[in-house]
Amino acid sequence: MPATTSAALAASVPELWDELTSEVAAGRRFADLFATTSPGGLLLTAHLASPAGITTREAMLPPGAAGYPALTPRLGAAFWYEREIHDLFGAIPEGHPRLEPLILTAAGDPPRPGAEVKPRSVNPDPGVLPSHVAGPGLFTIPHGPVRSGVMESIEYLVETPGEDIPHLNMRVFYKHRGIEKRFEGMTTADGLLLAERAEGIASVAHALAYCHALEQVAGTEVPRAAGLIRTVHAELERLACHLDVIVRLADGAGLAVATARFGWHKEQVLRLVSRLCGSRFGRGVVVPGGVSRHPLIGLGDLLAASGELDKRIAADSSLLMGTASFLDRLRRTGPLRPERAREHGALGPVGRASGYTDDARQSRPYDAYGSLAVRTASRPDGDAMARLEVRIDEIAQSFHLLRQAAGELAEAAAGPLLQPCDPADGRGIGWAEAPQGEVLYDIRVADRMIGRCRARSASFHNLVLMHEVFAGDILTDFPFIEASFGLSIAGVSS
Amino acid sequence: MTAYSAVLAAGLALLAVAAAADLVFGARRPRLLPVPYWLGAAASACLAVAGAAALAGRPVVLRVTGLLGSGTVGPAADRLSGLFLVIAFGAAFAVSLALASWAAGPGRPGRRGLGASYALALGAVAVVLTARDAFTFLFAWESLTLAFYLLSGFERARAGRPAAALVTLAFGRISGVLLLAGLLLLAGRSGSLTLTSLTHAAPGTLRSAAEVLLLAGFAAKVGLVPFQVWLPRGYSAAPGPARAVMAGVAVNVGFYGLWRTLALLGPPPAAVTGILLVLASLTAVLGIAHAAVQTGLQRVIAYSSVENTGLILAGFGVALVGAATRDRDLLAAGLLAATLQVVAHTAAKSLLFTSSARMEAVDGTDNLDRLRGSVRLRPWSGTGLAVGSLTLAGLPPTVGFVSEWFLLEALMQQFRVPGLGDRLVLAITGAAVALTAGFAGVTFVRLIGMVVLGKPGSPGGAVPRDYGLAGRAAIILLGAACLVTAALTPLEIRAIAAGLSPILPASATMGALKSPWVLQPVFADFSILSPSWLWLVMPALFLVTGLVAWAASGSRLLRVRRVPPWRSATAGVSGRASYTAFGFANPTRRVLAGVLHTRAEVRRIDGPRPGSETAVSAAQPAPGPPSPTSRQEELADNAVHVGYSSDVIEVVEEYLYRPILRPFLLLVRLAQRLQSGRLDAYLAYMLIALIAVLAVVTALH
Amino acid sequence: MWALRGLRNGVLTTRWPARPDDYAAATRGPATVLTALAGESVNLGGLCPTGAITREASGPLRLDQGRCIQCGRCVAARPDVFGWTSGPGSAVLARPALVVPPVDETADRLAAIRDDLRARTRALRRSVHLRHVDAGSDGTEEWEILALLNPVYDIHRLGIFLTASPRHADVLLVTGAGARGMTEPLRQTYEAMPYPKVVIAVGTDAVGGGLVSPSYATAGGVGDMVPVDVWLPGSPPSPFSILHALLLALGRVPVRAGSQR
Repeated sequence: MPATTSAALAASVPELWDELTSEVAAGRRFADLFATTSPGGLLLTAHLASPAGITTREAMLPPGAAGYPALTPRLGAAFWYEREIHDLFGAIPEGHPRLEPLILTAAGDPPRPGAEVKPRSVNPDPGVLPSHVAGPGLFTIPHGPVRSGVMESIEYLVETPGEDIPHLNMRVFYKHRGIEKRFEGMTTADGLLLAERAEGIASVAHALAYCHALEQVAGTEVPRAAGLIRTVHAELERLACHLDVIVRLADGAGLAVATARFGWHKEQVLRLVSRLCGSRFGRGVVVPGGVSRHPLIGLGDLLAASGELDKRIAADSSLLMGTASFLDRLRRTGPLRPERAREHGALGPVGRASGYTDDARQSRPYDAYGSLAVRTASRPDGDAMARLEVRIDEIAQSFHLLRQAAGELAEAAAGPLLQPCDPADGRGIGWAEAPQGEVLYDIRVADRMIGRCRARSASFHNLVLMHEVFAGDILTDFPFIEASFGLSIAGVSS
Repeated sequence: MTAYSAVLAAGLALLAVAAAADLVFGARRPRLLPVPYWLGAAASACLAVAGAAALAGRPVVLRVTGLLGSGTVGPAADRLSGLFLVIAFGAAFAVSLALASWAAGPGRPGRRGLGASYALALGAVAVVLTARDAFTFLFAWESLTLAFYLLSGFERARAGRPAAALVTLAFGRISGVLLLAGLLLLAGRSGSLTLTSLTHAAPGTLRSAAEVLLLAGFAAKVGLVPFQVWLPRGYSAAPGPARAVMAGVAVNVGFYGLWRTLALLGPPPAAVTGILLVLASLTAVLGIAHAAVQTGLQRVIAYSSVENTGLILAGFGVALVGAATRDRDLLAAGLLAATLQVVAHTAAKSLLFTSSARMEAVDGTDNLDRLRGSVRLRPWSGTGLAVGSLTLAGLPPTVGFVSEWFLLEALMQQFRVPGLGDRLVLAITGAAVALTAGFAGVTFVRLIGMVVLGKPGSPGGAVPRDYGLAGRAAIILLGAACLVTAALTPLEIRAIAAGLSPILPASATMGALKSPWVLQPVFADFSILSPSWLWLVMPALFLVTGLVAWAASGSRLLRVRRVPPWRSATAGVSGRASYTAFGFANPTRRVLAGVLHTRAEVRRIDGPRPGSETAVSAAQPAPGPPSPTSRQEELADNAVHVGYSSDVIEVVEEYLYRPILRPFLLLVRLAQRLQSGRLDAYLAYMLIALIAVLAVVTALH
Repeated sequence: MWALRGLRNGVLTTRWPARPDDYAAATRGPATVLTALAGESVNLGGLCPTGAITREASGPLRLDQGRCIQCGRCVAARPDVFGWTSGPGSAVLARPALVVPPVDETADRLAAIRDDLRARTRALRRSVHLRHVDAGSDGTEEWEILALLNPVYDIHRLGIFLTASPRHADVLLVTGAGARGMTEPLRQTYEAMPYPKVVIAVGTDAVGGGLVSPSYATAGGVGDMVPVDVWLPGSPPSPFSILHALLLALGRVPVRAGSQR
């Protein structure tokens, strides 16, 4: 894994913003912005990503300051990050275009991760709800949080004149669980369990990012066999998520047989994972320093099962991409303009479908990806069809990587699976490419306990782009756009 | 003078007294304002009775000659006139009651003249329906145009009214000129001004041309394309229930004229019939397309008049085809359908305009979005609006359903017509009528759902009260006409058959009665309908279902736990969170974009919204450090907003009238030079005109 | 084309519960205490991240399955004391019944609760509609509930359907640790359902708060927000377990003599 440069502390917040904007102009991607309550005040940390690794820049806001000049007018991608900081810490970014509660709608003391104090239970206060009024000629259709179907809780406010969707607003505070504050005071072993449950459908990716951060602190090198097993589970998770997206798209279009078949394929993937490790979502496999045990089935069985799945899924995908009525619903639906994707640094298949290719497996390889040939799928159009095509390419790619990893595992199986990794103090940054995009963890350990753990999921970074993809779409296109993004609200609201 | 002739004379006399009373007392004694309308109600009753007598065959004749406006023969009512007298003045009776109630209320007219215009309109209608020579007919026609001008221009202080009155006058004059030309051509041919003698005009191109002119003149009155542009403006401009006089009572003179032309002159050439059918279908589609997307209540109802004109003239077109191919059954089917639609339209339109007279928002607009939930605030008007909407939407068991069924059945007989061209045109018209019926459903659902039902917004001020006793009686009468008449359709058909006897024998029309309570479209073994049975069976079904549900629920049917409506458990939005009337019509705007030439635009509005509706729960900002609530709202208000606007244009007005308006105004400016204001110039003009007339007359002889 | 493709692989649907299913039998449930006798020798410090394992004053160990997140640490540390349950039958009708080894007093209470539930759901037995509410889950329980619709499980064959409107729903499935932001929406959904209704808390998060609780933003499970009838532990519970919980709620699970569940 490439090393990261140590955090550079800027003199003041405006100077930090200058550095960030110049780095972004130079080609680095804005990856994260968060705050920590520390003895010297409020520490603002920003991460930038590039093929060389993750760069950290920080600045300290003095204790008395109630606000700071906002970054969003200069760097649009920080829009939701600053709102989150405002919700969790109470610091006001002056000049922010729309400072409404994003993940927490309670009046009173903010929870302030990093501070020693344990906040009392907060009850949502309807008085601080952002008052949403549509513009002239429009009215608002509130959709959520309890939506039709088995879906996670989020509310979409669709401003419409009666058929089109010129504008969309989102309320994501319903599912906020206070994960960042919960991390504090946990042992590193317990923290791993919580990281797996921060965004459940990307458990393996979150566990990988968490373990990479700890391994960076302790300086541990993961053994080859463990890296390959981790890769196998990560790719199986990617398969399950992409198949889930296809199931939702086919369901939205009313293709009953396609929905059933892809549902069956997804079930086969989950059963394969459970046969490998006992948990259908790959939990308990990845631990700091390696993996916890060997796979529970032989490599021959694994290769046979994945080969059969690969053939079936490829056949069904090609039939799906030949169904004109289905493709009609996706073509030119929900287009994300390539320049917007680049500006924002869109992650995962959403970005790759708009031509912005930044795959952490390729740019900043980890575990066994450095030796396996990872090809990045991408498309230029940016509509829902492009996102589907990117995912189908990635499914084929995942099977290929699975075969490669399993083949190499046959040789390397004799080696150790775990290196001791028990850091006492330090700070590390870890990442992994989840099916939704890059997951970034920033962990501070003190005395074998977690002092501050920042878990930035790809869903949080990408969901804000939903505001901008409605170009001439009508109400019935909405499920396709939402399904084609393929994000998990648990990762957004954490 | 027979008894019923005396009744007719009494009716006309009462109208004259009403006009005089209004002009003399007027607004000086506000308590006497309703008096002209009470007198008008009595007059309408007399005229309706006289019409019924004429329908039954009694002689109703007024021998007056030499009086102002009377020609060589005095007014008399035969069966056709009797039929239209009953229809028009039955509705006029109820509308007069509503006017009396309205004039006594807070919306009363501010000055004299409305009662006189109203009496003039009713009197002109009566004389047109009973005129027996061309001079009386035209005199009364022009008086009606004048009355329309006075009615639509009454509230001349309000924006747009003077222009509307002028347009009404212009199109009234156009129809008058067309009628004048046609009648004079025929009179020249037949040698006498009496209407019955016009039948004897020698056949030829001149007679056909005259007939076309007559048809065009009457069509301009009722609003056939391209003459329909004055209807929405003219009708909306009149005050209160006077709109019902214009749109529900007086419009029947146009239909009477068409029926009378068919009776006197027979069918026009086949090409004219074809053009009429095509124009009728265009009118129907255009009318309902605009009605579906209007934002003002009066405009919706006015455009619905245009649509109904199209429907009625489609039926009339079928009758013309039947007359031309000498198929008596087809003639009967078409005329019966058209007349039934006339009855339904009169009742429903009068009811709609009467009910909507009280429906004005606090700020005086009739924007549909501001009139939500009217049935709570004005129960009688709201119910009237609902019943009228159901009738015009053609829903069973109203009379509108019966008439639309008849119309579609008559159009479906096109396979019996020998010529391919006729069949094609009838098929196209049938398709257009069916399309219209569908969109009529959408239009009136929007009215009922958004205006009558729905949660009322906060009144915020004085709410116009609902009707008094007389107005309620009017709404009950008109509502009964819409609903109960459907159950009594066989009796209605008998009356219509008697009324159509100048055109075709009553026995042909009575062929629509398969058995005493079952109807068929004149042709046997095609299709049947029994609205009377429907009136028995539908309530019975409701009752039976209710009883079964009550029994199956173990008498727990009425134990209800009330919870708020399910809205996906949203935290709520302030402002409009459900379909507005504007938004409901949006799909129609898009689907009919070809007909309406919709132009939609989305634009970003930065900064504070002008006239925004901010959250109702805003606490007063306390002095000192701003509380989070007010700061949120301040920040939210300053955010970027998106606004949406959508416009439709009237294609006929835009592409036919506007281009000819400029050269026309140029011509007018040139002609203004003649208005020099000098007496000697005018005397010179008169001399030149006299010499020219003398020269022409001498040359012709 | 799709019609023929659908016939290609034959019948995929499991016959469970009518016939036994291998995968169902191998489903890993929450951890359990294999023997209560070795209680004194177990060092509880740092053993269970959610504190599900406690030792009573008189010595025996108790494991609250409603707080078990299936991390496997106890099984790995002391495989002689702790083990996995297998099979789909982990749902219970009363919260105290999730504590293993069971206490005697709960047996009679359970029988009474079971009879009451059977009487309440008499009309729903053969045809029932489900409504799901997410009260702060991590996303995996939703996947497992949706898996019930795929052709392998196919709950439609059992007369169970998913519905969009709570007005048509009979059973409320609640997942998630009880995020406070969802208090009001959950209450509104519950109120919007007509009687008779049954509430199933799906997943360890919903039953006992999971690892996410205690937190300032969660209520430690949904038991305080809605009256729960069936408690289903598991992180996440497998589709067979959810199916078993549904059938338990409807009174369609054959009760073995002397069984607690």
